[in-house]
Amino acid sequence: MSYQNENPISSPPEGVSWEAELKKVGFLRRILMGRKWYKVDWWFVVISSFAVLGFIIVAIAPGLFAPYKPDVLVGPRFLAPNEIPQTSVLIVPADSGITELKDLAVPENAARPQIGVVSGFSTAGDLNTQSQVIDEELKNGTSGLRLRPKISRYASLDELLTALKNNEINAAVLISTEFDQVKNKYPTLREANTLTGESVVTHGFPLGTNDIGQDILSRMIWGTRIALIIGFSSALISLFIGVPLGLFAGFAGGGFDRVLSLVMDSLYSFPGLILAIAIAAVLGPSIMNIIVAISVLYIPTYYRIVRGQTLTVKEEVYIEAAKSIGARKNEILWRYIFPNVIPSVAIIFSVNVADAILTGAGLSFLGLGLPPTIADWGIDLARGQRFIQTAWWMITFPGMAIMLVVLSFTLLGEGLTEIFNPKLRDR
Amino acid sequence: MAKKATRTNVDNSARVANQGETLVKVDNIRMHFPIQSGLIASLLNKGHIPAVKAVDGVSFEIRRGEVFGLAGESGSGKSTIGRVVLNLYEPTSGKVTFDGIDLSKLSAEEMRLLRSRMQIVFQDPLASLNPRMSLGAAIEDPAAIHMPELTSDERREKVLSIFHEVGMNPPEAYYDLFPHQISGGQRQRVVLARALVTHPELIVADEPIAMADVSVRSILLDLMMQMKKEFDLTYLFITHDLATAKYICDRIGILYLGKMCELGEVNEVYSHPLHPYTQALMAAVPVPDPKQRRTEKMPEGEIPNPINPPSGCHFHPRCPLAQEICSQQEPPLRELRPGHQVACHFAEQFLPKK
Amino acid sequence: MSDNILYSIKNMTVEYKTRAGIVRAVDNVSLDIQRGEILGLVGESGCGKSTFGKALMRLHDGPARISAGELWFDGRDLMSLPIDQMPQIRGAEIGMVFQDPMTSLNPVQSIMDHLTETILAHEPDSSEASAKIRANELVEKLGIRHERLKEYPHQMSGGMRQRVMIALALALRAKLVIADEPTTSLDVIVEAKFLDLLKELQQEFGLTILLITHNIGVVAEVCDRVAVMYAAKMAEVGTTADVFANPKHPYTQGLLKSVPNIKLDEEELFKMKGEPPNLLKPPSGCRFHPRCPFAMDVCFNEEPPFEQVAKDQMASCWLYSEKAKGKKLEAHHG
Repeated sequence: MSYQNENPISSPPEGVSWEAELKKVGFLRRILMGRKWYKVDWWFVVISSFAVLGFIIVAIAPGLFAPYKPDVLVGPRFLAPNEIPQTSVLIVPADSGITELKDLAVPENAARPQIGVVSGFSTAGDLNTQSQVIDEELKNGTSGLRLRPKISRYASLDELLTALKNNEINAAVLISTEFDQVKNKYPTLREANTLTGESVVTHGFPLGTNDIGQDILSRMIWGTRIALIIGFSSALISLFIGVPLGLFAGFAGGGFDRVLSLVMDSLYSFPGLILAIAIAAVLGPSIMNIIVAISVLYIPTYYRIVRGQTLTVKEEVYIEAAKSIGARKNEILWRYIFPNVIPSVAIIFSVNVADAILTGAGLSFLGLGLPPTIADWGIDLARGQRFIQTAWWMITFPGMAIMLVVLSFTLLGEGLTEIFNPKLRDR
Repeated sequence: MAKKATRTNVDNSARVANQGETLVKVDNIRMHFPIQSGLIASLLNKGHIPAVKAVDGVSFEIRRGEVFGLAGESGSGKSTIGRVVLNLYEPTSGKVTFDGIDLSKLSAEEMRLLRSRMQIVFQDPLASLNPRMSLGAAIEDPAAIHMPELTSDERREKVLSIFHEVGMNPPEAYYDLFPHQISGGQRQRVVLARALVTHPELIVADEPIAMADVSVRSILLDLMMQMKKEFDLTYLFITHDLATAKYICDRIGILYLGKMCELGEVNEVYSHPLHPYTQALMAAVPVPDPKQRRTEKMPEGEIPNPINPPSGCHFHPRCPLAQEICSQQEPPLRELRPGHQVACHFAEQFLPKK
Repeated sequence: MSDNILYSIKNMTVEYKTRAGIVRAVDNVSLDIQRGEILGLVGESGCGKSTFGKALMRLHDGPARISAGELWFDGRDLMSLPIDQMPQIRGAEIGMVFQDPMTSLNPVQSIMDHLTETILAHEPDSSEASAKIRANELVEKLGIRHERLKEYPHQMSGGMRQRVMIALALALRAKLVIADEPTTSLDVIVEAKFLDLLKELQQEFGLTILLITHNIGVVAEVCDRVAVMYAAKMAEVGTTADVFANPKHPYTQGLLKSVPNIKLDEEELFKMKGEPPNLLKPPSGCRFHPRCPFAMDVCFNEEPPFEQVAKDQMASCWLYSEKAKGKKLEAHHG
């Protein structure tokens, strides 16, 4: 066959589609350009991505962010957020060398120490109680010292402190916050420890303390680690089991598909939390068992979605094309079907993690999951239940933490769904 | 003589030497697709399952080196036959032979390996390319499957050279692109390239240009003919467009509702169509010349349902010449002129007077 | 406006906002549709013919809008009407037949119901009985047997459905029917019968038809005049006889030579080089210049005007333009 004109060889697309143009632009700019197209969803995805990233960083290195270890007793119990604890503190002359109440103990027959209080306050009672406790200790000990102070009452703070300044008394007991206010007027006096011998805590805790005196902020931060471990692990296990099963069932069909679908549908129709409770109750409390229980819950979800997608993709022309070039079944499944099914999975994953965290918190709330020594939001929720009226902060902050993390993952997943479905919506 | 399926392709000199011999023999194939009916319906029908009789007894041969056309309207079975020839569908009955090898006797693995010698180009290039595979990977795949002796560099070289052959230059620019990033015409070239990479002997082209732009079609046809010369190919060209078929095919078979009406050399069939359906079909094709507007009247009615085709000659309800025998007896394919077969009881009246 | 022009479209532009910028699917296109003619609008995918057809009824896909132009239909500029008056015009004065009627027919309504409801919707004063009578008459005219009126769209074949669409347009006595690729999904014999029907309707009812298609064979069979679009612009307009015998625009010439003709024994089809352009960044000057065998320097720089080039033919090409004389007429290299 002769040629009438030159052989028309097509040249490469010079910006034949805007996709090619887009490739030339940097990745970052593409993300910014996305703002125009996706509007709200773009904001959802970007904000939640940062949030999720933040949570992951916190979970990896909670020690960097938390002021204390989660089980440390940092101060008085039931401290409200930022509330400075009011404890009875010993005030002594600056040069006296006394650090705590116990230091005022004297030999049996020596002159009893004189300690002053402002009348009308509970400090006298505290002083009495604590002295008795220390005295009991000393009586049973071998030092031969006793603590039986004489308590002098003064009408006002000024009179008390002046007396101490003038060495009329050995020490004074005040509420710690009171002394702060007049500290500057009495430069020769200083604070010693509290009556129980601990250092005075002069600051509050941002989120308060719980019923045994642990810092709630630290527990929240440390709790992130457990929550995310449970969330990601169970989501990953569900994915690695559910996705291949869905692929094989959709691809192979027949009896295998029917039996498996029956099993999965039964699992799926079980109310999630109850199933998790049952499994956790049977297996016993440990992190691994919680993860297993929650994974079982989500396997059917992946299975169904992947199986459905597989069935659809199987009918596409390019699968027939793959058969016609002689591809083996294995290759068709993994190189042709799987990559076209995966996008739907990635999106479920994010929402799955959110749900898993929620379920995990639910399980430990019910006391079914973790040993109580691990810092976990669910456990904290359970602890704070009793005190919801008196110490609302105990339950509120762990609750908010759960909500924020779950919200972030969910928003990320939903936002990505909007953006990636339908595929190639930009044509 | 049953030749064992060989993975190695017959090389060009052997192909050329055997020009004209039968490459594919289709022997009375039927393809019936059963319709899913409910329990009650099938009980009522006494176990007889209704089926779509897509292909209902078709026989023909494809000779090495030719472009054999299969033409027909919807329901004719032409696309189904294309797939049966490649054993992508197993025929309900009948036999397909490729280079002497009976396809029904092959194991699944033998058939899979035989595919390197027979390939298909689909109608919709976008749908037949894996959206998640780059063009280079898509074309490389058949080579990876059938030529394991090549290293990955050699395979890449092969892909690049095929890109060049089908006119996509520079080849490197296209290797990493994805199907949705190129135009329709380019996609059809890619699909052709994929079919060529194992150097097959037969290519089944199922409406290969139907979805391309009009001004691009002649280029694609030309490319296909170029490739045919270069690779010593044989084409089974499936189309509904009789004008294109006339331009590109050597021999042609006209199908109606799963049966072959007429079969012969293109020049013969087009200048002396002997079957009433063929005549109507050729008259119906729009002619791009306002001085030659159609005057012939078109047959009444429409194509019947392939589940319940008319008795005897399928075309009889619409045929202006139908007589009683047409509804009772199916006309056999008879050779009325050299190399020209017709399935009509009364085709003789159309023979040119000597 | 002269009385024999039913619809005069002047300088219409339809724009789409896409992520990569603004695309003009129809770019400054003018066309006159004469009363009682079948006018073919032919072009390849992406040339804008479908968008143009829809815009004639001020219909468009979501992000598109008619950004410029006058639509003088039967003496009124449709662009000056408030958009909520358009539904009265659509159907009743301008009917449309789409490529795939399955999506435009209500799957849960029988054909008879479709027809009578449409009639009653546009002419609320008619009685149901008279609407039914009119439907019956029409359907007979269109070759649909009465028994089939009770059927639902999915029970009918493609050809039948297209006839129903025409019946719907005729039922309302539309003056103009816009048929967008009406036969593309039909088999060739059904297509031939459908084209026969269009000719009958033109003769019997004086119906004016704008037939939008990519198939120039169809245009040659049935159209009185033909308009060729390329890359959102009008390339050539003229009587079918003139355009096919003496195509003026190089695109038309190439197109006619590249399509196989069953009545001829062709050795070789013309191969037009290149591909239809991307409308985001159309070529400068004349949009066809990258593919044109006669391209000159001026074609690269300036868009040719759309003007008369023969007695009944208009085209936009520098080869014929008076203004080109005096400009450099060297062949464009590269």
